[in-house]
Amino acid sequence: METAIDIVLKLVAITVAFTVVLLIVAYTVLAERRVLGLIQGRLGPNRVGYGGMLQPFADLLKFILKEDIVPDKSTRFIYFLAPVIATMAALMTMIVYPFGPEITIPFTSITIPLTIARFDVGLLYVLGITSIGVYGIMLAGWSSNNKYSLMGGLRSSAQMISYELALGLSLIGVIVLAGTLDLGQIVENQSAWHGTRWYILFNPLGFVVYLIAAIAETNRVPFDLPEAETELVAGFHTEYSAMKFALFFMAEYINMFTVSMLATTLFFGGWNVPFLDLIFARGTFIFGLISALGFIFKVCVFLFIYIWLRGTLPRFRFDQLMNFGWKILLPLALLSIFITATLIYAFPNL
Amino acid sequence: MLALLFILFAGLAIGCGLAVVAQRNPLYSAISLIGVFISLACLYVMLAAPFIAAVQVIVYAGAIMVLVVFVIMLLNVEQEERGRPRLKFLVPTAVALSAILIAEVAFILVSVQEFRVNPTSPPSNVGLTHSIGTQLFTRYLLPFEITSILLLMAIVGAMTLARRGGLLSPNARVVPGAQVLPLSMVDPNAEPDDLRPVEADSSDEAARTLGITDFRNQSKRD
Repeated sequence: METAIDIVLKLVAITVAFTVVLLIVAYTVLAERRVLGLIQGRLGPNRVGYGGMLQPFADLLKFILKEDIVPDKSTRFIYFLAPVIATMAALMTMIVYPFGPEITIPFTSITIPLTIARFDVGLLYVLGITSIGVYGIMLAGWSSNNKYSLMGGLRSSAQMISYELALGLSLIGVIVLAGTLDLGQIVENQSAWHGTRWYILFNPLGFVVYLIAAIAETNRVPFDLPEAETELVAGFHTEYSAMKFALFFMAEYINMFTVSMLATTLFFGGWNVPFLDLIFARGTFIFGLISALGFIFKVCVFLFIYIWLRGTLPRFRFDQLMNFGWKILLPLALLSIFITATLIYAFPNL
Repeated sequence: MLALLFILFAGLAIGCGLAVVAQRNPLYSAISLIGVFISLACLYVMLAAPFIAAVQVIVYAGAIMVLVVFVIMLLNVEQEERGRPRLKFLVPTAVALSAILIAEVAFILVSVQEFRVNPTSPPSNVGLTHSIGTQLFTRYLLPFEITSILLLMAIVGAMTLARRGGLLSPNARVVPGAQVLPLSMVDPNAEPDDLRPVEADSSDEAARTLGITDFRNQSKRD
């Protein structure tokens, strides 16, 4: 009986988390179009609903109603499988992030943690699932039977393999500082000093490397070579239309969201809002609520940085991308590990 | 519940394993192999070894198989024709080897039945990250370091093999704008039909190698 209630609770938690995340993702798309409009001195979509607030749903309706075109010579099964893999891998990492501290529901004694699953290797789980996501793009490029798609898929896999190394190494500093791979524990370690003991203070270089590598991992400007529209039409999703294209589109934005969540969790204290425990007691409902909102706010700041970069920077050339990844970013990541380890050796009580 | 999950993942692993061998399209085989690795990772989680499971997914499914799929895509390997097998002696060998494997599995099953471990032992932390790390850096430090040196040797070997031969410099890469010329155009002592490539970083450098001194002026005159 206990397990049955547990399973139902988990299913409810998964549904709530996925719905909230997908809503935020939908509004990220709108925010991107409005902010890009702002940067480029135009308005952006503002007609559907108040200030364009219903635009994401109009877009969704359009994606669903469009004709779904399947290329004649494509490899059918893999062509259908690829967007599913991309979206699934993007969504599956959502379950380990701590969205907030444990909260007690008012007027009852039920305590629920604001995280869906908590286990010993949360961080490795995130890295593993992220590395599965590359198959979606590769297989999409291959199965479309289109040379632009194939080029996009190959570029993307080469890029993701190269930057995965720097990404993984940039996280080791935090792992060494925290002494655990459990994301919940990592956040709790950062709640000392009234919630300001953030790991970016001890490992700023690691954060810079992580941010750059994460942008490359999500194929965003200035690392959006897999879909460079001036050379490759649209890259790996050239042949995808209607809802299947929407799945790739969603996967990209969900990936942006998850790497932002990881940056927040590892470097910016997760749900810790500075000095909040001086105002509200830890463990109360209002404390949990503000913490969770603080977490979402930090993630949204990262999403804004993504959009800002897209409005600002030009695209890399492919050899620049590879040189940068292997010759600059990777040594910097190693240096950040070295500095962090030295810091801990010099100040063991840090 | 656990038994059901075990049957699900074990069945998936076996099914995908069969598909790896049975598929004629190499890409389908590779995808089936990824399925095997992921089902195995799920089985590791059920055996309370989450670290091994995560590493299984990261290393095998996320890195090695990406390279395999990459190569299959790059070479565009055709679907294998279903014809007469070329190496006929392989069939009896395969039968014999699988018979040995089945005998081994049967032996293990029987011996496990005989020496049943008492399941009431307290929960251990053997599969967790902390204990694995501690053991790797204390008791098993030497094997761990030897393995890392072995990997380093493999990397250096691969680099050496990839860079051997040719007249291209070690830093040579095909960059938009770089000139790659046949050797016969550059080296006066070479055979006239020697088409091995030589790399130059810029038009100036290529002109210098060719002995054209007034390269800039020439282009201006036109």
